[in-house]
Amino acid sequence: MDNASTLNKGQQVRRAANPLQAEGKPPMSNEHPYPEKTVGAPFVDDPKMRMRDVDVFYGDKQAIHGVSLDIGKNEVVALIGPSGCGKSTFLRSLNRMNDTIDICRVSGSLHLEEQDLYDPKMDVVELRARVGMVFQKPNPFPKSIYDNVAYGPRLHGLANKKYDLDEIVETSLRKAGLWEEVKDRLHQPGTGLSGGQQQRLCIARTIAVSPEVVLMDEPCSALDPIATAKIEELIAELSESYTIAIVTHSMQQAARVSQRTAYFHLGHLVEMNDTDTVFTKPQHSLTEAYITGRFG
Amino acid sequence: MDRTYFGQHSSAQFNEALESIRNHLMEMGGLVEKQVVDALEALLQADSALAEKVLETEDKVDKLEMLIDEQCTKVLALRQPAASDLRLIIAVSKAVSDLERIGDESAKIARMGLQLAEEGESPRGYVEVRHIGNHVRNMLRDTLDAFARFDAKKALEVAAEDNEVDLEYRSAMRSLVTFMMEDPRAISRVLNIIWSLRALERIGDHSRNIAEQVIYLVEGKDVRHISVDEMEEKLKG
Amino acid sequence: MSKTTEQVRQSLAKRYRAEKRFRAFGIASIAFGLLALLLLFTDIIGKGHTAFFEHYIQMEVTFDADTLGIDDATNQDQLNFANYDGVIRNALRERFPQVQSRGQKRELYSLISTGAGYPLRDMLASHPALLGQTRTLWLLADDDVDQYFKADRQGREDSRLTPEQKAWLTSLDDNGQVKKEFNASFFTSGDSREPELAGIWGAVCGSFFTMLVTLLLSFPIGVAAAIYLEEFAPRNRFTDFIEVNINNLAAVPSIIFGLLGLAIFIGLFGMPRSVPLVGGIVLTLMTLPTIIISSRAAIKAVPPSIREAAMGLGASPMQVVLHHVMPLAMPGMLTGAIIGMAQALGETAPLLMIGMVAFIVDVPAGPVDPATVLPVQIYLWADSPEQSFVALTSAAIMVLLAFLIAMNTLAVFLRKRLERRW
Repeated sequence: MDNASTLNKGQQVRRAANPLQAEGKPPMSNEHPYPEKTVGAPFVDDPKMRMRDVDVFYGDKQAIHGVSLDIGKNEVVALIGPSGCGKSTFLRSLNRMNDTIDICRVSGSLHLEEQDLYDPKMDVVELRARVGMVFQKPNPFPKSIYDNVAYGPRLHGLANKKYDLDEIVETSLRKAGLWEEVKDRLHQPGTGLSGGQQQRLCIARTIAVSPEVVLMDEPCSALDPIATAKIEELIAELSESYTIAIVTHSMQQAARVSQRTAYFHLGHLVEMNDTDTVFTKPQHSLTEAYITGRFG
Repeated sequence: MDRTYFGQHSSAQFNEALESIRNHLMEMGGLVEKQVVDALEALLQADSALAEKVLETEDKVDKLEMLIDEQCTKVLALRQPAASDLRLIIAVSKAVSDLERIGDESAKIARMGLQLAEEGESPRGYVEVRHIGNHVRNMLRDTLDAFARFDAKKALEVAAEDNEVDLEYRSAMRSLVTFMMEDPRAISRVLNIIWSLRALERIGDHSRNIAEQVIYLVEGKDVRHISVDEMEEKLKG
Repeated sequence: MSKTTEQVRQSLAKRYRAEKRFRAFGIASIAFGLLALLLLFTDIIGKGHTAFFEHYIQMEVTFDADTLGIDDATNQDQLNFANYDGVIRNALRERFPQVQSRGQKRELYSLISTGAGYPLRDMLASHPALLGQTRTLWLLADDDVDQYFKADRQGREDSRLTPEQKAWLTSLDDNGQVKKEFNASFFTSGDSREPELAGIWGAVCGSFFTMLVTLLLSFPIGVAAAIYLEEFAPRNRFTDFIEVNINNLAAVPSIIFGLLGLAIFIGLFGMPRSVPLVGGIVLTLMTLPTIIISSRAAIKAVPPSIREAAMGLGASPMQVVLHHVMPLAMPGMLTGAIIGMAQALGETAPLLMIGMVAFIVDVPAGPVDPATVLPVQIYLWADSPEQSFVALTSAAIMVLLAFLIAMNTLAVFLRKRLERRW
């Protein structure tokens, strides 16, 4: 009987054992301070892109607070975080898409290999040819499939002869896994394709100029699961020849496609680490809370 | 800092599912713990009725195991848990099978108790059984506490305790084997005690396994198949 | 049945009634609009349709060299100064030999239009051999005669014609010497003091040149301004100020632009009065805000994702605009331009201020010839005392409306045709 009573006592103790629950503290209180330094391993040896102490301001409002991270060669880096955490803003500052916003100001050091992205001598056109971008919503031009892909090469004069251009178009479409589906209707409007095909067309369009880095801003958010799976497969293939940074709202997607994952929270880079580490044992409580779906 | 908590998910249903898994696990732990206690008691007091009760509980434990497994599978399929949630599910599903094995082992002890009650008491070994039994019981209780409180430190203590149990088990073994050589007539009864000791030692091992899962759950570190010293090292690092 | 369902059901009838009322109100409004339009059209067409026809009187005309006062029908100068009216008067006197007194003769002569001589000159010019010969010709009747024949019985009694004139006309009519024909000269000649000679072609040409100047100036300027404001201009107080002012400009009464044109283009720069060039510039000022506002709306409607896509591929801002924004915004911009032009086409007030209201007989051959435009022509005719001008005014309005409808149809067509979906 003695034993039974200890047991019951033990069970009672156990029921009240969840300390946070017991104290009734919400996870977003002061017990989740931003780390002084990004947790994890944001830097790699010999990076493709090197960002240090990047601040981004919209007018008086600071959207990015001192983010430092590296993107390695032929690596897929996923940027995750709750809405409004600045991951897209950060991504867009990597090929200076933010330049178009008057009130946006970027400071800090951002380098593509040895070149300073925000050097006054740096030409934006050249930069965007080297750092391509795929957007959230599939946005093919209202032109033919062929012209969509050929637009970039034409713009930069990459092909002088029709033959060369044809070849670029075919290779790009093949790389994007779209060639077999569209080879018979290259001259039909790109807007007539399905959503997933359109997005792959946009990827083909981006890689047609042979960029070194491809930035993807939630490329699958407008797509159905099968189209999403195709794009993810494509990302895996592309990472053999390109360096890819992808912003995604789907944590599973980040887990599937990326080698390293960066977690942003309200403009701070909280944690960056190998993807499996981030998804099995994140080191910071904010990351933990986000990954496990406790806010956002 | 304790970041392992079930609540505060955006999805209340997810909270409930995890809470339910945890409650079932605790219920199962309680049942198994009681099985161990009762089995020991039945053996030591030669109480056949109590031994029967232990064997009956077996069924309940098995059902709970299947229920918890099913719930874990469901959470995996529907929620794709990550980080601490994922570790919780993994740890629970492993701990559950350890608990079930503990239940089996205590049933074994209960059966030995029944046999001894029929054949008459063993001339030796009850002291060892009581001693190791208490030890193992504490281990199981502590490991379940550690699980309930997500207390990695306590889990580490349990793991360390298992080494002592092993030592005691080996020394008890030696003395009982010596005794059997001296008195071959008691061999069958002493063997029953030896099987019981063996079962207790296994329960200790399973408790240690659960403690390791607690450490994995809390710290995210895999501490299986290493010595306790290495464990401490890993937890510091 | 739950309480909610019951309540919903109770309120349902009321809601449907309200909906019906709402719909009926809308239909009534449209019906009213259509009715007003119908009234307008019936009135205009009812008054104006007669202007498309005019009456001719048959005469035996002798190209008598003495009466004409010429001896060589191949000499252009002589042809220009020949007395064709005399020949016609002779013919009239021959047809009605009983007319003797001076007063009666004048009344007789006034049956034929003063412009009836021009066809004779043309005939003689192309067939010099006609000199001295006699031909049976149809001569254009005077506007009062024209009115007399077009009028009903009551109208004939009220006519300004004297009883003698009426008698002569009846006799001509009975002999089959009066005919009604399509008024081609309405579409081919310029303005005139004589309603039967007055045509709209001068005004049409004037409008054409004015619109040409307006289009050539306002479309490029308007589109350029819209693109700059929308795509390149920084957002600051200054651009806000410009934006507000463009919107204000669209609301400025058009006569103000006329005063501006008078003061600046004519007064300061010394440009000639009454010419389509100045009219076009003034109308440009008036049309610009419309074109800028509609072009900006069209540019805004181009999805930003297209711009981003082009920019992401490394297109410069100008390339983005030229390759993507312009083609996609073009239907909207064209529609805006055409609607602006249609507005300018119907504009009178500013043109009055710069003197395009003058009485100009010659058809303008270019944008620096004095001219008038359709709406001003309508205004002028509406002001004229002769009875026949009422019909002419309505006919001119019909022509103007036809142009406006054509332009608006073109706008719709262009929009449908050029619009690209994405």
